[in-house]
Amino acid sequence: MFDVAGLHVAVGGAEIIKGLSLSVPAGETHAIMGPNGSGKSTLSYALSGRDGYEVTAGAATLNGSDLLALEPEERAAAGLFLSFQYPVEIPGLSAIAFLKAAINAQRKSRGQEPMPAPELLQLMRAKAETLKIDQEMLKRPLNVGFSGGEKKRFEALQLAVLAPKFAILDETDSGLDIDALKIVAASVNAARAPDRGLLVITHYQRLLDYIKPDRVHVLAKGRIIASGGPELALELERDGYDKYVRAA
Amino acid sequence: MSIALELPTRRNEAWKYSDLRQAVGAERHVLRDGRDIIERLAPGTQRSVIAPGEARLFVERMDDDCHMDARSFEFVLEPGASLTRVVVQTGKDLPLSVARVRLGARAKYTQFVLAFGGRLARLETHVSVEGEDAEVTLNGAYLAGRGQHADLTSTINHQARGATTRQLIKGVARKGGRGVFQGKIVVERAAQKTDARQHHRGLLLEDGAEIFAKPELMIHADDVQCAHGNTAGGLDEQALFYMRSRGIPASQARSLLIEAFLAETIPASLPEDLQDELIGMIRAWLAEARS
Repeated sequence: MFDVAGLHVAVGGAEIIKGLSLSVPAGETHAIMGPNGSGKSTLSYALSGRDGYEVTAGAATLNGSDLLALEPEERAAAGLFLSFQYPVEIPGLSAIAFLKAAINAQRKSRGQEPMPAPELLQLMRAKAETLKIDQEMLKRPLNVGFSGGEKKRFEALQLAVLAPKFAILDETDSGLDIDALKIVAASVNAARAPDRGLLVITHYQRLLDYIKPDRVHVLAKGRIIASGGPELALELERDGYDKYVRAA
Repeated sequence: MSIALELPTRRNEAWKYSDLRQAVGAERHVLRDGRDIIERLAPGTQRSVIAPGEARLFVERMDDDCHMDARSFEFVLEPGASLTRVVVQTGKDLPLSVARVRLGARAKYTQFVLAFGGRLARLETHVSVEGEDAEVTLNGAYLAGRGQHADLTSTINHQARGATTRQLIKGVARKGGRGVFQGKIVVERAAQKTDARQHHRGLLLEDGAEIFAKPELMIHADDVQCAHGNTAGGLDEQALFYMRSRGIPASQARSLLIEAFLAETIPASLPEDLQDELIGMIRAWLAEARS
């Protein structure tokens, strides 16, 4: 489903990702763990097409379509979703208006009619309810004045409503207290499906207590240097990244 | 003698960003007696008095784009009166307007100006707070397209204590467009307990766009709360990427961001259908700017 091969990414002329390869089959959830500065955020931005993240070599495909040839909005329409580590504030644009624009833009690019407004509202309300998001908050400007936990819940809401084929969750656990973490993790778990893949990027093992990955990869110095089952996360939590960073 | 010689040059501080003399050129106009140049160009001053306890809504449409459209107004709000004034400027040549507003005690004046610019569009407002505990909202938005000039100029003079003033002006300019905001707030010695906030934010949409801002705050009283801010810059690239990552095409994301940016200036107290109409006009301008 999601395949990255020999990816190199430079930011401001400095190479951050140095030959990264990864395959996530449909229906699986993989975790990338790595210390600060290992290239976790660079990887997620490069895959979603942010300006300034220059892919100098390698390939990334989603269900066979070449992501790197697409604009960020085309990648979204192709089914890619990035949950941001730091969701951006959009003053003056309500969460409802934002999601409506996003859903209908994606539908349009797939040749579908816009979703009827009542259906859209019902969908948003139902998903907000499971994330314990107050309905009133849907009318507020997106992320403006939201707490860290609220922002991450809104990322989870967007994931639930947009229903992408493949989602990258960048440090979804940062800024969350334990209650919010459980709610967000439950929503991510609910998003698991046989035809959907998830990539969870995190520094800490804590998140993986709640989102059980099928595979864990260790990212250090811009490459995946070890892969294993869920037990690898526990080992990292116990022994730290030192062993891997030194070997990299 | 040509009247052009009596028009202000750009050496005149109040007109340094709007070259009226050049814009009027050799056109023939009769200059009347008046305190300010637009009052002298206007055929007369329309005066309205809002009685105590009365609440009125005035909507002015400056949509004459054949020639100079100079208008002069005076509004007197008696104690406890309330006036909401909305000005929509679409006329493309020389729309010029000046309004003098005098507020009695507890009077409430809410103004929103939506200016699309013209060869030279200038909308002036001069508010005198003469009674205690008055409330002033003086918001506005300008959209200066290619070759368009939009100038929002205001003074708010606090002469009595306890007034609350809120001013939020935002604007966008495209290549060759020029936006001007000149806003002066004066707090006289007698105007203790004044609470005044003024903010201007300009958005330069393309290289070659121009925005001039001259915010001024003059405080002669010592027990007041006053703040002002002024910024000009480009669109938030992070917000743009965030929206695109959700599938919204770049041009649509830009329009949505600009619309949201400008819509914040529309007072929430305006009737909803009027708010919708104003948003619709902004949206139409943005759609045209995209094509």
